[in-house]
Amino acid sequence: MDSLVATYSRPAFENEGYSSDEQQELVQAMPSLSLSFSLPPMRNPSAFLRALTDDHANPQCPIKLAHGTTTLAFRFQGGIIVATDSRASAGNWIASQTVKKVIEINNCLLGTMAGGAADCQYWLAYLGIQCRLHELRHKRRISVAAASKILSNLVYSYKGMGLSMGTMCAGVTPQEGPALYYIDSEGTRLAGNLFCVGSGQTFAYGVLDAEYHYNLTEKEALELGSRSILAATHRDAFSGGFINLYHVKEDGWVKHGFRDTNPIFWKTKLEKGEFSNVTANL
Amino acid sequence: MASLLSSNPTLASNPSYSFSQAPQNAAAGNREHAFYPYTDNGGSTLGITGNDFAILAGDTRSTSGYSINTRYSPKVFRIGGDDETGEGAHIILSVVGYAADGTALKERLNAIVKMYKYQHGKRMSVKACAQRLATILYGKRFFPYYVTAILGGLDEDGKGALYSYDPVGSYEREQCRAAGAAASLIMPFLDNQVNFKNQYSPGSGVGHDLEARQVTPLPFHEVEQLVRDAFTSATERHIEVGDGLQMLVITKDGIEEKYFPLKRD
Amino acid sequence: MNHLPQAWGRPRDNVYGTYDASYLQPRLPQTHTQSPIVTGTSVLAVKFKDGIVIAADNLASYGSLARFTDVKRLRPFNSRSIVGIGGDVSDMQYLDRLLNSLDVTENYSSTGHSLNAKNLHTYLSKVMYKRRSDINPLWNQMLVAGLDGNDEPFLSSVDLLGTTFSSPTLATGFGAHLAQPLLRKLSDDESKVADFTREKAVEAVRECMKVLFYRDARSLDRYSIAVVTKESGVELKEDEHLEGQSWAFAETIRGYGRTQEV
Repeated sequence: MDSLVATYSRPAFENEGYSSDEQQELVQAMPSLSLSFSLPPMRNPSAFLRALTDDHANPQCPIKLAHGTTTLAFRFQGGIIVATDSRASAGNWIASQTVKKVIEINNCLLGTMAGGAADCQYWLAYLGIQCRLHELRHKRRISVAAASKILSNLVYSYKGMGLSMGTMCAGVTPQEGPALYYIDSEGTRLAGNLFCVGSGQTFAYGVLDAEYHYNLTEKEALELGSRSILAATHRDAFSGGFINLYHVKEDGWVKHGFRDTNPIFWKTKLEKGEFSNVTANL
Repeated sequence: MASLLSSNPTLASNPSYSFSQAPQNAAAGNREHAFYPYTDNGGSTLGITGNDFAILAGDTRSTSGYSINTRYSPKVFRIGGDDETGEGAHIILSVVGYAADGTALKERLNAIVKMYKYQHGKRMSVKACAQRLATILYGKRFFPYYVTAILGGLDEDGKGALYSYDPVGSYEREQCRAAGAAASLIMPFLDNQVNFKNQYSPGSGVGHDLEARQVTPLPFHEVEQLVRDAFTSATERHIEVGDGLQMLVITKDGIEEKYFPLKRD
Repeated sequence: MNHLPQAWGRPRDNVYGTYDASYLQPRLPQTHTQSPIVTGTSVLAVKFKDGIVIAADNLASYGSLARFTDVKRLRPFNSRSIVGIGGDVSDMQYLDRLLNSLDVTENYSSTGHSLNAKNLHTYLSKVMYKRRSDINPLWNQMLVAGLDGNDEPFLSSVDLLGTTFSSPTLATGFGAHLAQPLLRKLSDDESKVADFTREKAVEAVRECMKVLFYRDARSLDRYSIAVVTKESGVELKEDEHLEGQSWAFAETIRGYGRTQEV
């Protein structure tokens, strides 16, 4: 009773500090499964956030987030090829050359990362949780269609808040075969044979469209994925670093290396005679 | 200052976009909330790992604008240890950017790592702690902690582990990372000296035949010297870096703290 | 997606509205959050061998008007600490009430502990950081001076953004530019505190108050000064007058740094 009286008889100026619920949430060892994000107490939080973080509209913005760039995935008779570069830029600063833009959601589902690096990492990890929960609840693996829809519904519910992601979900399931979906933070979700996403997408599309057909052999398909990323890293300033290559098959995905673009570029030029716009003299 | 160094001068000073989303440099109109809830307290941090150790270091200057608040304000902390002495900690964290957010983040992670120990009866692994830190940062995705964090420790195999973060929690395990005001000065140096970027094996040929120098983990004394060199050089060329160098070294024997004076001008 | 690669993966104007840079404009006009109206200027503090000296003048300004000339800006908290507050005076009075109620609660608690200066500083920094996170700041910068848990001298600062730092000498507001360099000349490092006597410290602070009065247009020659030591606790004098002023230098000043005669 005394504590009750004490709680409600205090003057307003004593209510500084966090409530016990807030304190609990700040220190719990497990992050809560329900999604709760703190918002700045302002009338238009997303405009505030954008003013802070949009380095494209304002190169002088104070908080520069890491952005991802060229990613591609395509379906062919032997499964799905997923390939990405590895550069992350914050403004014009190259924040990292070794980003893993292919995110292993589980042993047969892959996601790719373009746009905000943190958004993609966090939400694809969240998708991983949801896929595992689906398996436990229904005793069978989730379809790629369902998985991609979880993600697209999720990001759509945050539309207008400033999330930035362009991702592809690739997987092979018994009921669907090889399945590929494109999901972006505007809420778009598309099924298709072939997608390139990011600032280097046009360059990747150029190479990919020219050589692509569904009946590629595995070797040809891997080479085409790698070559398309190489073209993008060559022409797009925001792409570069390493070529990350994956092949998704019915019994899970296989990684085909994380290889430096520079030696690959020179090998392609000197041995195959491509990139004749560049001189071979050093 | 950091944004000045990291932004492309031609783009920033002379926008030439052909569409409506042209960059704006000047603030347009007045705002209802004039209170701007962030500041930058300057300084720089840096982390390097080796085979059986990890080093996190930071300068100890705290600035606001052109003023020096204090010459000793640590940026590198022990996580999961005793409140006063930090004893028993097995993870180290560095934060640079807005110091109040940094302190809040450090205290939150510290509390979480301790709660984990009480709830599970074992120490939180560095890998788990790294993932948890990412979710903490992402939890404030729409009102970010204005800090660049680096987390260090030893992994399950006893190897040095280093995780670097952006303000909203994208993270990656790396060999080395510089953050803060002088990141753009230190990071290229580290690329060259730790990951041997643009170094070639002598005698391996000329022109296209040159072979890249093989990357090998560096011994502790070399890494420590690299860290000190990085900070003395950054102090020479960045106004927000200086006064002192604080270093936390984590090995299987625990955490050792070192302090070296830097130029105070 | 459109044909403008630079814009891909970024907020689009037609979806998110145009980029509004005015959010980045630092603290100019405002209506919702209070702005500092009646303000106090610098607070100075210096650590010496076995204690702390802290001083602040007694003026509360209303813009450029010297509105109230007997406002006490040093606020003792139990016998071991004192808080010097600069910035908005109404927020200072709120903090005073807050500290009062904290003191009352602490005195009623049965733990037998009392808050030392370090605890007090932690408390205030949490209050300030919470307020800034609520975008409803208390527009002050404070210096907390006193004795910590081991009865060692303690001096630390906290401001409206929740930023905290400590140093052997501290000064807020205009003092951070004028007085801090003078004080640092005398005691730049924690190692120099050991041979810095009380007399020297008090003398230095009084001298700095004088320098501030010469050049800070929002300052006053009436000021409060307090010394906190282990032996005698908080010794606060609230109505000091600047002694031995010398305005001879004024003769030589010609406009804003101009050397020629006007």
